Amino acid sequence: MLDRFFYREKGLFLQSLHPLSALTYIAVLLVLALVFNHPLYLLGLLAVTVTAIKALDGIDAWKTFLRVSLGAAFVIVIVNAITVRAGETIIWHGPYIPVFGRLNVSLEAVCYGADMGLRLLDIMSIFCLYNFMIHPDRILDLLSRFSFKSALVLSLAARMFPTMVSRLDSIKEVQAARGVDFNAGTLKEKMGKYVVLMKILLLTSMEDSMETAEAMYARAFGSGKRSHYVRDAWRPRDSVCLTASLLAMGVAMYGWTKGLGTFSFYPRLAYLIDGLTGIVLLFAVIFLLSFPLILSWGWHNCPFIKSKI
Amino acid sequence: MPLYQIKNLTYFYPNSRKPALKDIDMIIEEGEFLLIAGGSGSGKSSLARVLAGLIPGFYGGRIGGSVFFRGKDIKQLDKRSIAREVGIVFQDPEKQLIMTSVEAEIAFGLENLGLPRQEMARRIAEVMSFLGLAELKREFTVKLSGGQKQKLALAAVLAMQPSVLILDEPTSQLDPVAAEDFLNLVKRLNEDIGMTVILIEQRLERCFHIADRIVLMEGGRIRFEGTPEQVARWAAQCGEPFIPPVARFFGKAGLNTIPVTVKEGRRMLREKFKPSSGDFYLKHPGVVHEEEPLLRMERVWFAYPDGREALQDINLQFFAGELVAVLGANGAGKSTLLKTMAGLLKPGRGRVMLMGGEPGSSVSRKAWNSCVGYLSQNPSDYLFQDTVEEELLYTLKNFGISPNGVVDEIMDKLSLQDFRHANPRDLSCGERQKVALASVMVTRPKLLLLDEPTRGLDYRQKAEMGKVLLDYCRQGASVVLTTHDVEFAAEYASRVIMMFCGRIVCDGPTHQVLSESIFYSTQIGRMCRGFADGILTPEEALAVLKPASPGKRERK
Repeated sequence: MLDRFFYREKGLFLQSLHPLSALTYIAVLLVLALVFNHPLYLLGLLAVTVTAIKALDGIDAWKTFLRVSLGAAFVIVIVNAITVRAGETIIWHGPYIPVFGRLNVSLEAVCYGADMGLRLLDIMSIFCLYNFMIHPDRILDLLSRFSFKSALVLSLAARMFPTMVSRLDSIKEVQAARGVDFNAGTLKEKMGKYVVLMKILLLTSMEDSMETAEAMYARAFGSGKRSHYVRDAWRPRDSVCLTASLLAMGVAMYGWTKGLGTFSFYPRLAYLIDGLTGIVLLFAVIFLLSFPLILSWGWHNCPFIKSKI
Repeated sequence: MPLYQIKNLTYFYPNSRKPALKDIDMIIEEGEFLLIAGGSGSGKSSLARVLAGLIPGFYGGRIGGSVFFRGKDIKQLDKRSIAREVGIVFQDPEKQLIMTSVEAEIAFGLENLGLPRQEMARRIAEVMSFLGLAELKREFTVKLSGGQKQKLALAAVLAMQPSVLILDEPTSQLDPVAAEDFLNLVKRLNEDIGMTVILIEQRLERCFHIADRIVLMEGGRIRFEGTPEQVARWAAQCGEPFIPPVARFFGKAGLNTIPVTVKEGRRMLREKFKPSSGDFYLKHPGVVHEEEPLLRMERVWFAYPDGREALQDINLQFFAGELVAVLGANGAGKSTLLKTMAGLLKPGRGRVMLMGGEPGSSVSRKAWNSCVGYLSQNPSDYLFQDTVEEELLYTLKNFGISPNGVVDEIMDKLSLQDFRHANPRDLSCGERQKVALASVMVTRPKLLLLDEPTRGLDYRQKAEMGKVLLDYCRQGASVVLTTHDVEFAAEYASRVIMMFCGRIVCDGPTHQVLSESIFYSTQIGRMCRGFADGILTPEEALAVLKPASPGKRERK
């Protein structure tokens, strides 16, 4: 059931990118989502991210992220509206609450909350995109060039996690068959039953880890200096995507230093569109970030583009 | 110069007073296919670890005597040199895979050897093509089937281009077809590439005939060694169980020449024995059950959350006194079937009724669990108490049953009294299996469900378990087990069910089902096909087949 939230090899263009260019693209999206707070910029980033998710055939799974984000956004809006008093446009005068004083809700606080909710949706969608786009092993492969042991530990953990989850299910079934009712008893009793599960899992995992270590030893692990196997080829598409991502980052940072991409909520809302420069910058950034999507379209629909990238 | 020369080898594991290997002297020649057989705890795996340099390098312990590899003392060879020359594939593919993707897994050993990139790329491409793994290049290792995982473990070792390949019970978790496929690959490596193969196996009917030489071990020592024919003759004379059924039959029949393959056996059968009127066992009338079934499944469907329909329209009934074996390839739905019967999985559609009642309605969950015992594939999932006795008492306590001597009774039955106060985690694989079984049987369930209970057991342990289960059925219970071991099913089951892709494709008396099947048949069954149909075991063949003429029997 959870499979759809994780990477599945589908032979799609965006999955064929070199991990360095793919990771750079994701990192640029993430940094911009954290740096910008202008709602139009955040919406633009969301549009690019969702289009990329669609190109990866992941919209169904993203809808779950959307539902979770909308729920969280709603909570943010409520909490922000109740607790922040910086706004001047009061849209609701609430009752007097001891210690807190009068409960006034301002339009600015509501909008700021909604903007934060939008940013949350952006970030969650970017993580969703990362999950669908990059094979975790390829990231580990990239990481192993710099720190092999850390990459190996992560790889083992990534491999063991599903195995341990399935083992835990199996132990729970065994315990149920031996008369343990996990739904019965007080909280303390229930916790005791789960402690037994964890104990068995730990004992079994420790035994298994010895066998894994033995297999690693037999395959010369730790026998001396290692070499590195390069699995991913660097193609023209990677150069294009990497350049476009870095340019998008450069343009966005230039605009950000000029005060573009930011939006002032307090004490009163600023103009949504404040001059042409901001809009030009927005379009420039979105256009550059759309390069992988344009190439993806070309790769799937135009044999000429496919042959060249 | 021999490849390996072992002189007076004795080895103790750390903190052990009993030697795992004692006074071993042997020579292994380059290009040889050596089969090492013997019971559990006989020292087979320890010997393999010595040959792979894992003992004492990885395990430590005390070692005496000497092991020479190509004339050099193995202790003087560094870890990388040994890994370059000797590859080892272990029993459980799950525990020997390290990386998350297929390609990275194969590359792991090559990177450890520090090979140049071009060389690694060439070796990976070659080994993937040879083993048919190219399609799975970027697949996650957790997604592979058992057979594919074992093939990947082999690929990861072969890519290192060792001159010696050691295989420690590599097919024990595979279904008969995948196991056959795997052993054919190994045979090709030996014959076509000239790789020295050292194979450790419990299921000898699969590999006895492909070995050049067989070493039989017992108690850490070499008991006998020779060609398959020599070993078969010796074992037949001594009544040793470590020979394939065909050889056991001809040995017990008193022939001097002991065939070790089905083909040779068939030829000898036609020369030395009269064809039977046939269908002896097939003529046995099926048991007509007049009583209410213990468990009934009606139009049961089960789908996992990923949409895979593991059970499709299952209609089955299980009666008291039956020992039912469920056969089928890995992923056919056997384990899901047992879990559904145990009430651990709820069918999406259809009904599972225990003595006429359904769980949650007329039968409470606790009552269901006390009537149905379930033993999963991994006995370690049961063991967490400090002693074997406590393990049994734990189950009784959960069901609120007073011991009343049942713990002693079950321990006697399963020969566990000697381990009563031992920590179950300190026991061998076969003993752990017995403790797990005891912890299930202690409630005396009417229906006992066992998922691959014979995995990792040797011939003697299997025979012991088979007798316990038959005895339990005679007391009015029903046992349903899944297995890849057709020989075990033929010997002990009264009924066989075959599953394929979630469906029941065959259900009937053991002799009928296994005689009709080509791949899921016993060695004796295949040998007697067309000559004396319906015979499945050496004992049946001895009882039915008569010599062509008394003079033709060579001894007895």
